[in-house]
Amino acid sequence: MIPSLAGIGIVCLCVLPLLLSGPYYVHVAILTMLNIVLASSLRLINLSGQMSLAHGGMMTIGAYTSALLVMKAGFSFWVAMPISGLSTALIAYVVGYPFVRLKGIYFSIVTIFFSEVVVLTAQQWQSLTGGSAGIFGISRPDPLSFFHVDFSSKVDFYYLALVLMLISLLILYAVEKSRIGMVLRGVQQADSLAESVGIDTTGYKVLAFTVGSFFPGVLGAFYSHYISAVNPDAFAFLFTIYILIYMTVGGEKGFFGPILGAAVLTVLPEVSRPLKAFEPFVFAAVLIAVIFFVPEGMAGIPHMLRRAKKGAADA
Amino acid sequence: MSTAALSQSVLNGLALSGIYILIALGLTLVMSIMGIVQVAHGEIYMIGAYSVYYVVAVLGGNFLLAIVASTLFVGSFGVLLERLCFRPFRGRADRAFTVSIALILILQNVVLALAGGNPRTFSSPFAGVVRLLGIAISWKRLVIVLVGLGLLLGLFLFIKLTRTGQAMLAISQEREGAALQGMNIDRISATAMFLGCGLAAVAGGFIGSLFSISPTMGSFALMKGIAVIILGGLGSIPGAVVGGVILGLVDGVLPALTTTHIAGLVGFAAIIMILIFRPQGIGGHEG
Repeated sequence: MIPSLAGIGIVCLCVLPLLLSGPYYVHVAILTMLNIVLASSLRLINLSGQMSLAHGGMMTIGAYTSALLVMKAGFSFWVAMPISGLSTALIAYVVGYPFVRLKGIYFSIVTIFFSEVVVLTAQQWQSLTGGSAGIFGISRPDPLSFFHVDFSSKVDFYYLALVLMLISLLILYAVEKSRIGMVLRGVQQADSLAESVGIDTTGYKVLAFTVGSFFPGVLGAFYSHYISAVNPDAFAFLFTIYILIYMTVGGEKGFFGPILGAAVLTVLPEVSRPLKAFEPFVFAAVLIAVIFFVPEGMAGIPHMLRRAKKGAADA
Repeated sequence: MSTAALSQSVLNGLALSGIYILIALGLTLVMSIMGIVQVAHGEIYMIGAYSVYYVVAVLGGNFLLAIVASTLFVGSFGVLLERLCFRPFRGRADRAFTVSIALILILQNVVLALAGGNPRTFSSPFAGVVRLLGIAISWKRLVIVLVGLGLLLGLFLFIKLTRTGQAMLAISQEREGAALQGMNIDRISATAMFLGCGLAAVAGGFIGSLFSISPTMGSFALMKGIAVIILGGLGSIPGAVVGGVILGLVDGVLPALTTTHIAGLVGFAAIIMILIFRPQGIGGHEG
């Protein structure tokens, strides 16, 4: 059933831009897809039992890497984007070894400070990064004549984001279903037990952190060319917090949770926009309702309803 | 840099230290006693600042009276939050974390709706300077240092001398053991929230006498508060004091010597190093 549902979903997403009235809604759709990948890749790190808050910092690294490669070194976007992902992953790998030795909340805190260091470095290193103002006028991706796209409209970016999202989700799904995903769950549930049976827990945690940071690196590159600018605090603390919310509210147990959470919570503020000043309260209310009443997250709602129904039938 | 300029920035640093220590003490109390990460602590501090602003600038009240009123109001608000939002998730760090994130959004937007997004300022009665050994010291900053010291002494005596204070210490060390000894964790948690939020309110009120305040001022306070706690070790009051003094001096003196960004970088990089090489901080214990 799941493959056919996914197929229907992909077809719907392919025709969606034809139905959306105006570039603004296409923009929201693009943001939704980016948030889905960010939340899903955050969950991969989370699988190892470590809650990273470095996603904003990683996205900043990816965005600057690509912008600089294209603007200063004359690279094509299509080369710069994967390089951005890989160099972000490399940085994650290097800092990952000391970081993952910290347990629980201390790991989360060190990743927050890591992001702050990234922001401050971008602000300070004026000759390279343009300081607090950032880099403007980043060129659009080179046209792909084979597909007849030149990225002059948002719809072209929409399809690029769609392709990126599908590939990312496929990779993340494959990793989770592989032996790696199984070991990561083992590490999450019983760190010292996994180590006692000969699993290199540190290595696996670093692996999850590295792979999970590759995706914000790529998306940062995409985003800087999409909005044609990048500045140091574009992906600051609150940005990372939102990704974390998408993941936890959607439900971190299953693969589908962060996808659902990111989709609902990115679109929700748009739907509740007529409420003006009350709009953030709708968001917060949904957040609180889920935490209090559906501890497993939104993805756990059907399961909970089924259980409630079964309970009623039994009684 | 001349001696006068240096002593001036040292004093600025000490005033910042006072603010950081007040924020960090509240945060470490709440975190170690309730076993949760309260990331909305910065917003509590922001509400403290706005309460003082309301009493001083809108009602035209006395500044010190406003600080006291704000402390009581925000402290009681903290007790309410403990009961409604945190008690159900005590000791379950991940869900309490999400609740406090929701609180960040709610509190920021409530203040934004009530007071608007423009930065606000209010005046403090402590204008002018005192001359001490030929160095001009701003009254405002001196008062912060003195009030910080006073509250610190008060908190220290409270924890040392009262049964409630001793119970707080016990619970922060071993929650289940303390409960087995018959300590009322609900009541102690509420007390910790009252004290922690009250201290944050004092910090917010005094920062408003130095800089302008805005609904988003809390994340800065949270970062600094966490940094101080990491430096000093979670749950350690002497650690928070030492950490606060160090970070305050770094933030007060370094920007005068180099740029604010480099000063910030040095601070955060040092804290990352400390986390990696001495995770228990300066005053914290193993664990």
